Amino acid sequence: MFPYCIVAIGALFYGISAAPTDDAAPEGPPNETRYALALTDEAALAAGLRTPGADKGNALLLQPSFTYRAGDRWIVSTSLAGLAHTESGTGEQVRVREAYFGLSEGDFDFTIGKRLLRWGTGYAFTATGVLDPPRAATDPSDRLSLNEGREMAKVDWVHDGQDVTVAWASAGVLGQSRTGMYDTTAVRYNVLVKGFDTSVIAAHDGGDANIGGGNFTRVFGDALELHGEFAWRQGAAVLAGGKYTIPSGVTFIGEFYTPPNTAYFRPAQMPASAGRQHYAYAGVSKARLRELPGWKEWNVSVALVENLDDRSHIAVIDGGRLIGDHFYAYTHIQAPAGKRGRSEYGAISYSALVSLGVRFQL
Amino acid sequence: MFKTLSLLMVCAAAALAGTARNLVPPNVEALLQRSDMARNGWPSYSVRVKILNFEDGKQDEEHLYQVSQKGAEKTHVEFLSPREKGQYLLMLGDDMWIYLPDTSRPVRITPLERLTGNASNGDVARTHYAIDYNAVYLRTEKVGATPCYVLELSAKRKGSTYHRIEYWLSVATGLPVKAEFYLTSGKHIKSATFDAYQQVDGKTLLRRMTIYDCIRKTSHSVMEYSGFAPRKFPDKLFQQGRLDRF
Repeated sequence: MFPYCIVAIGALFYGISAAPTDDAAPEGPPNETRYALALTDEAALAAGLRTPGADKGNALLLQPSFTYRAGDRWIVSTSLAGLAHTESGTGEQVRVREAYFGLSEGDFDFTIGKRLLRWGTGYAFTATGVLDPPRAATDPSDRLSLNEGREMAKVDWVHDGQDVTVAWASAGVLGQSRTGMYDTTAVRYNVLVKGFDTSVIAAHDGGDANIGGGNFTRVFGDALELHGEFAWRQGAAVLAGGKYTIPSGVTFIGEFYTPPNTAYFRPAQMPASAGRQHYAYAGVSKARLRELPGWKEWNVSVALVENLDDRSHIAVIDGGRLIGDHFYAYTHIQAPAGKRGRSEYGAISYSALVSLGVRFQL
Repeated sequence: MFKTLSLLMVCAAAALAGTARNLVPPNVEALLQRSDMARNGWPSYSVRVKILNFEDGKQDEEHLYQVSQKGAEKTHVEFLSPREKGQYLLMLGDDMWIYLPDTSRPVRITPLERLTGNASNGDVARTHYAIDYNAVYLRTEKVGATPCYVLELSAKRKGSTYHRIEYWLSVATGLPVKAEFYLTSGKHIKSATFDAYQQVDGKTLLRRMTIYDCIRKTSHSVMEYSGFAPRKFPDKLFQQGRLDRF
């Protein structure tokens, strides 16, 4: 924590000396402070355990975040997650999700600190997210907001709708390195051309190969969005997907993803001999069931992730109810299926996992 | 008797013709542009928008937004209410992104995804009707005691929030009085009344409007505008890749 405090204090000191005068106030956004606090308690119950272990657990999460913006000149931001979890034992953990200082000068933005970046355009999968946190197809939106950024130094050049980013991200200077993670240097060029939000990405890390690729999103008509990613690193990883919304607000998302079975792309449990994998994701969601009397505060989504090679799959159901302006009660259910020990989702150690939670937000 | 009656009819016809001549707007496009000024007082500005949702007459939700607008094509919306903190919406012409803190990236959204709620993202962020719609004069009629021009607006670009709008503008002031919003299917989805205006730096700007859900008739939203202020925003602030760095 201490190094992050130094970053924050340094940023504040810089701000005192470089704060814009009152005369400049109409230029750009005003100086503003933003804070948020979320307190979540989630109980989980696993059914049909296939290996010995706890079948019940509880997680208590406290997540404060704070941001100060000095107009469009500089920004300091932190986002923390304190986690106390109980399964067979009890443990506590503090995660620094983000803690960074950013400075804007002309067309340049400079960022230093721990930052969450996602360059991939895929929803459940990504091929080009070279600096992204690990993407879980069963939890693509990181529903408990536990993902952490990477410590990095980043420079953006933004001009005339074009954004060139050069970033160096550490495998873990202050935090813990993840297995297989290397320091990464990455470059991205992002531009909007004829409705195509397009990025070209190149990266190098301490592994034995470079990675290059690109991605896009494009909206067609009123209801359809298509996106795709292509990356090459010792083999091609391809993602194609789309999102379709009908007038009632129901949204359908579908994705197809095929990564090479290399150390960089391979899921943790996947044997090297398994060969190239193919995945499909299908999801339906509706936020606010306002068309049903008495269900206006409810959200619901259902998704299925399938490994098309071993025919294993996992169903994910989320439902929740807004209570007033601050509370949200929800349930999250995962039900994997597949050949036990011989398939990706069949290897999951339970037949069903039901989580019930309440979140308070301020 | 017949002569008297004829004279009365001629006088009445002349009076009606005179009235109609006075009420026909000289330039529909100019009128629409003038009405847009009620929500866009400066070429570049910021404003706070509070939305109060009501169900069966009882308030059940409150949302707060900070809207930053540059010209008619660039809009940045920061969501400020507790449950939505950390969310941002960006509109660049017909293209839209939403940044959700959970996903930590700008997610492309379709025009239909803007239509959720009584007051949609489009109602908050898309207020230059002269840019988004073609206008045709329909008729002149009174709303309450206020004589109004009735215009029919039809969408002329993909980014328009609605397919068609019937729009009542005060004959005396050119300010919006009432609107009815229609989808491509022809369904009448919402109605709005423009309830109160405020004076800011000598400009007459909208202070409060009410949006009625025409499908769920027990539901309506009140939009309150405050803190209108001119601001100069560099173009780089409206870049999809730095949505959370506005």
